[in-house]
Amino acid sequence: MADKVIVTNWSALEKKYGRGLPRIRRALARLIAADQEERGITTEVVGLDSRVEMGSARRRAVTQADDEAQVKAAVDAVHAAHTPDYLMILGAWDVVPMQQLRNPVRDDEDKTVPSDIPYACAAPFDRDPARFLGPTRVLGRLPDLVGRKDPAYLVSLLGTAARSSSRPRKEYQRYFGLSAEVWKVSTALSLIKVFGTAEEILSSPPRGPSWRNAQLAPRAHFINCHGGASDPKYYGQPAERVRYPDAHRASRLPGRVSNGTVIAAECCYGAELYDPKDSRGQPGICSTYLADGAYGFFGSTTIAYGPSEGNGQADLICQFFLSAVLDGASLGRAALEARQRFAALHTHMDPTDLKTMVQFYLLGDPSVHAVAGASHAFSRSKTFQRVFHGAKATPGARAFRRERLARTGANLQRTLGAVEPSRARAPSGVAKTLSQAANESGIIRVLGRQAYSVVFPPSASAGVKRFAAARRKRQVFALVGRKSTRGRVKRTVVLVATVENGNIVHMRRVHSR
Amino acid sequence: MTWRGNVVRERLSAGSKSEHQAIVLVTEAGERFKLRRRGGNPFQDPTLDPLEGKRIECEGILRGYQIIMTRWKVLD
Repeated sequence: MADKVIVTNWSALEKKYGRGLPRIRRALARLIAADQEERGITTEVVGLDSRVEMGSARRRAVTQADDEAQVKAAVDAVHAAHTPDYLMILGAWDVVPMQQLRNPVRDDEDKTVPSDIPYACAAPFDRDPARFLGPTRVLGRLPDLVGRKDPAYLVSLLGTAARSSSRPRKEYQRYFGLSAEVWKVSTALSLIKVFGTAEEILSSPPRGPSWRNAQLAPRAHFINCHGGASDPKYYGQPAERVRYPDAHRASRLPGRVSNGTVIAAECCYGAELYDPKDSRGQPGICSTYLADGAYGFFGSTTIAYGPSEGNGQADLICQFFLSAVLDGASLGRAALEARQRFAALHTHMDPTDLKTMVQFYLLGDPSVHAVAGASHAFSRSKTFQRVFHGAKATPGARAFRRERLARTGANLQRTLGAVEPSRARAPSGVAKTLSQAANESGIIRVLGRQAYSVVFPPSASAGVKRFAAARRKRQVFALVGRKSTRGRVKRTVVLVATVENGNIVHMRRVHSR
Repeated sequence: MTWRGNVVRERLSAGSKSEHQAIVLVTEAGERFKLRRRGGNPFQDPTLDPLEGKRIECEGILRGYQIIMTRWKVLD
């Protein structure tokens, strides 16, 4: 049994790197040795395409690297055979594919949502994101560069992971907090929740993108800006004008990122892995941070969501990730706990919640502990030291945490509902109320009305039977409209009504960001 | 790859963190793609503004719903 399993596809790596593959194998050997010697972790590498290495999982090896169903089944088999505490995918999506899930948001341009969450779940291969609401595995992806032939990048990232060390929490208490000016209030709220203060917040405009070394030096980065597909920049936006100045540039990062930096980025496409040739050879911001010594990057593969005021969706899942990192969780556990905490906030997930759940993922070695966990005084006692051979924590501690995470994930999978598009018409009273709310909200043009049914797993009623009747008849109706504000700024407003037995039981208003 | 079609301005990613008015190509087959200049700002690129209302031919690569253009010309 290994504590950590690294899954990859040797033939895909060989196809990319040819004679460079031995360099990657040697870097992997150094990581395995460092895991054992420095962290007491037993690590094993499994090539999903290797008949020999898949033999222990009693599963046929993957014959086509980009066959998502094959790869998902192979990863599940490896996990079942080894039951590792950490599961790491080695390589970008052209080595081990991301799972293309159906986009639950009907009104945005993403045809699918590339996701790693199915690899964190025991549920079998499926395109439906609602099948993956109960993640239980501590997972991360250490990526290489899409389409590149030089192994130096991946060797460098493996070296960063091998040399990683935990630092005291105070080393991560200072932050680089960057916000589009238009979302400054929301970002400040996030920073206060994670760090206890928002005094150091930087907003674009007027600041950026030429951040000074001292501004980028903090090891915790929280970024809430615009992002685009295949783009090495993030963008700001003034509060009252339609303008998108550069806020953060990948090209400005090399040599300026502190070793061990951990980043949570809310931006659309903030953690998209794209072929650098799409952008004049410049890899994305996430890839560049990792190349410059960052330990982990938590971000989105696609268009992300959040409210204009307060916190929601992307704000919350990023907060949960960084908070767990600061509390001493491994990066992989922080990502898993962020997903579980986000899921646990809901009785059922609306389309944007569901997309948030599956689009955010961790880039980095999931076993890395950026922040050292606080130990109890008893662990320094002679008895403890004698029984556990000088360890700072009991061997059971991690096992208990995994048991708790598995229980939480299993409960979520069994109990959490999600929306499915429906053709139902809103009851006349509901439609009227939404129209009245639209008028009151300053909506000048209705862009669309949507209907969803809320579907719960069959096992969801256990222990909550008194809610079963209401749940069976729960529907969600949404009105999307455009609001006119000062000047040329136009904002989209989404009004969401949750309905039971024809009566509105909950309403919320989400503003475009 | 090469595409031909009419250029319009449309609201994209409505309700998301990155809703914006984009320059969109409507092809002769009726498909819609966001147009972006390679290296250009994906949310606002004054270089592309004059294309609105024109019929164009463009070359580039398709990434998701957007064409990253390397070359384009106005047809009429």
